[in-house]
Amino acid sequence: MPQYFRDSPESLVPDALAGFAAAHADLVAYHPDHGYLRARHPAPTRRVGLVSGGGSGHEPLHSGFLGMGMLDASCPGRIFASPHNRQIFEASRAVAGPGGVLHIVKNYTGDRINFGIAAERLHHEGIACARVLIDDDLATDSDDIAVGRRGTGATLLIEKILGAAADEGRGLDELAALGTELTGRARSLAVAAAAHTAPASGAPAFGLPEGVLEFGVGIHGERAEGTTPHAPLGKLVETMTDQLLAALPDGSRSRVLALCNGLGSITSLELYGIRHALAKALDTRDVALDRSLTGTFVSALDMRGFSLTLLASDAETLRLWDAPARTPAWPL
Amino acid sequence: MSDRPGSNTLTRDSVAAWLISFAASVRSVEPELTALDQQAGDGDFGANLATGMDGVRRALDALTAVPRSDGDGPAAPLAAAARVFLDDVGGTSGPLFGLLFQELADALYDASPALPATAALATGTAAGVAAIQRVGEADVGDKTMVDALVPAAKALAECPPTADPAAALHLAAVAAHRGALSTSGLRARRGRASYTGDHSRGVPDPGALAVALLFASANEEVTVLNRLPEH
Repeated sequence: MPQYFRDSPESLVPDALAGFAAAHADLVAYHPDHGYLRARHPAPTRRVGLVSGGGSGHEPLHSGFLGMGMLDASCPGRIFASPHNRQIFEASRAVAGPGGVLHIVKNYTGDRINFGIAAERLHHEGIACARVLIDDDLATDSDDIAVGRRGTGATLLIEKILGAAADEGRGLDELAALGTELTGRARSLAVAAAAHTAPASGAPAFGLPEGVLEFGVGIHGERAEGTTPHAPLGKLVETMTDQLLAALPDGSRSRVLALCNGLGSITSLELYGIRHALAKALDTRDVALDRSLTGTFVSALDMRGFSLTLLASDAETLRLWDAPARTPAWPL
Repeated sequence: MSDRPGSNTLTRDSVAAWLISFAASVRSVEPELTALDQQAGDGDFGANLATGMDGVRRALDALTAVPRSDGDGPAAPLAAAARVFLDDVGGTSGPLFGLLFQELADALYDASPALPATAALATGTAAGVAAIQRVGEADVGDKTMVDALVPAAKALAECPPTADPAAALHLAAVAAHRGALSTSGLRARRGRASYTGDHSRGVPDPGALAVALLFASANEEVTVLNRLPEH
């Protein structure tokens, strides 16, 4: 039975936060009394604070992207559980600029409610607050799902692009509109060959027969609607690419920015192979791969799988993407 | 203006007594709230609410230890309750009660001869429902606390602004209670209970019942205390 290296199930998150803050003390500050982390050196040109957060277990999201050019504060919850509204409220109060504070929220019920309560409290204190809701997961794109698509890999791409836009001194409404527009042209899809290990029991969150992939898995071990035979990689990536491209808005499929993301325990060797297969699939379909990121950025504890995110790109998006960022986990 | 409480005002003491009465009611029905939540939710609502109201009781003790000042009116106990529920209560329904307390406190801060207590209660309840609906995205019929809050707000809004607040709160309690009972026949579409599908049918929503309990707790305390002479 696989086991986590930790003192107790409860110690995983707080110990990691303490270690993270100490390891990156030049870039981030941890405020354990209020349960948030903040960037030490935000750009002086920034007028709106950027705050994100969500359950732990997706590292390096979100705290790994605190710093110049990206987030101002992050609010980690317990594993796969929303942060409390108080964490978000206090973090937002601390980093709000003269133009207010923008919440970047992955579409999960708990996150929506807790960020929503924090927003009500901020309004009550006279602090302007707006929200970008990230809902990029193609596997949950169905009229039967009342709560809408989940938020997954696109979160990282949007945090980067919004960070660069915020550094240009843009206002709250403009940033919120940009974030919503970016979300509309980003879609993700994830597959897994094995579930993550549940921290409390040490058992896999779900079982999969050998040679079968969970196709459309969530980042909390949510089962997919179906499975697929473990096809050769090229074929699998082509299927995913076709579905993702078809879901991008009409007229925006000629150029993309891509994320090849590990879900926790996939090797870097495999991920670069996936990057290679994606480039081939896009090339065959006459889609230009403008920029890409390859690595483990939005994980699901130790799930053995990967996700692909495609974001329809244009010159302005690339300009913001290429702007400098310095955070504990941004690789460029 | 006399600072003596008349039949159409609320005082710090009467509002504090209302909340203390609510705390006692919550404690006494906590097992029932928990049992209901276990049938259709994750079972933590009764405990979260009871722990929250214990915190409010402690905050009110601290409040009443502070000498009265001119600005220390009926809003203060509700503002204290809002802080406790928003900062310290877990789950989602608990902090949503905090938003209701916050809006009620705001409205009562603004109470004046031009905005009598009953009008302020109506304004605060309506603002609380609006905030809860913005955050929780629930409508009437979704089997949530909104099913009790919306009729309560409506009952308050229909009272003449100068009506006795105790009488107005009584009407709100009746309306909230009717709304809470109506949730028995509904299938949950929002909140944790929505994941359990038809299991939620036949069971009233514990959050809606707690709202009814809140307004019902006001009735007696506000009536009795408002008739006591100031000492």
